[in-house]
Amino acid sequence: MKPNWRWFLGGVGVALLVLLLALIFAAYQMPELLIDWANLSYCG
Amino acid sequence: MNSNNTTWRSPLVILTVGCVILTLSMGVRHTAGLFLQPMTADNGWTRETFSFAFALQNLIWGLGSPFAGALADRFGAGRTLLVAAAFYVLGLVFMSVSPTPLSLDLSAGLLIGIGLSGTTFPVIMGVIGRHTTPERRSLALGIASAGGSFGQFAVLPIGQMMISTYGWQSALVLLACGVGLIAPLAYAMADGHKPSAGAGQSVVEALHEASRERSFHYLFWGYFVCGFQTAFIMLHLPSYLVDAGMSANIGMTAVALIGLFNIFGSFYFGWAGGRSSKKNLLVWIYGLRAVAILIFMLIPLSTVTAWIFAAVIGILWLATVPLTNGLIAQIFGLRYMSMLTGVVFLGHQLGSFLGAWLGGRIFDETGSYSLAWTISIGLSILAAICSWPVNEKPLARLSPAT
Repeated sequence: MKPNWRWFLGGVGVALLVLLLALIFAAYQMPELLIDWANLSYCG
Repeated sequence: MNSNNTTWRSPLVILTVGCVILTLSMGVRHTAGLFLQPMTADNGWTRETFSFAFALQNLIWGLGSPFAGALADRFGAGRTLLVAAAFYVLGLVFMSVSPTPLSLDLSAGLLIGIGLSGTTFPVIMGVIGRHTTPERRSLALGIASAGGSFGQFAVLPIGQMMISTYGWQSALVLLACGVGLIAPLAYAMADGHKPSAGAGQSVVEALHEASRERSFHYLFWGYFVCGFQTAFIMLHLPSYLVDAGMSANIGMTAVALIGLFNIFGSFYFGWAGGRSSKKNLLVWIYGLRAVAILIFMLIPLSTVTAWIFAAVIGILWLATVPLTNGLIAQIFGLRYMSMLTGVVFLGHQLGSFLGAWLGGRIFDETGSYSLAWTISIGLSILAAICSWPVNEKPLARLSPAT
């Protein structure tokens, strides 16, 4: 594989990873999760 | 077996599969608290009933880790992962139909606890450690830790979506299906590899040797502090923020920030451990935790300071895992790495149990978390002091190469 392609595909991979992490981060704002979060303090 | 290893069980394959297994096992475990409300409501249990089962799980996870590690060292990681995954799946399925507190203790506590012992760091890190060169080992362990961190971060909202969409019983079965994927993945980790270093040494001899090394004790107690702090902060930080008048949204964002920055921290400190002294990095991690908590206590609490604190603590969260595991491999060799990392992980779990329990107990007794934060700072300083004299040199029997 040519270095240019390697860099390009690596960049695409990193961008997709950042997007995935951002989506998961946003998912933490779900109202259901906010309510149920209080549960976690009881069981670790 | 070895010929197969050279064809497809490359270090990259082992590392990737190890990351996926840790994502599944650590991630599913992290959703446990989401089931408290629906399960207690449907079964008419108290919160204490539910809490006890998961406290039991934490202890069995810790107590089982040295044994799971020893089994992996003796019979192979593949078989250990397979059996542990079966326990984990059975525990989740049995938990979904548990009618009594005793059955919850047996499923969520005993079965899942055993499953976690064999599907988490000690077993996985042992295989990854064996398949990487000393120069790249710390980075590889860091990437694997980041996999576990990613699982904790990613599976929690997925678990909640499953509960909201399908109900808690179906969600548990679906999560069991996810954990079931560990079984076929275990085949990739069945390396059948036994390094020559330390050949002839028995499990008891390896334990005896480690118990005579002061560095091993330092690592054990350092990990104990790590467990204490992570359990205390993860369980009580949201409550601390809500008690200070902040919304649950801010507390949840703080938790998400810890999870997010944990991924980067695990990776970074794994990489850094391959380039500089691991024990010095541990000193920095524990020292910075003390400084971060102290500053967090001293400056006025606001949304911004809470989020900055969460991000800083997130970076330092599981950063101890690749460094501690890497030091075990470096000092004691690879043959009993899984078992020995299992022993220090027991220290981590004992600390977790104490951090979770003591945080609540102190709050109930004093009406605030101040004393618990202060203890956390003191323990952090002690852990930094404990990490400083760790002798990183391989034992004499391992020279010239680990």
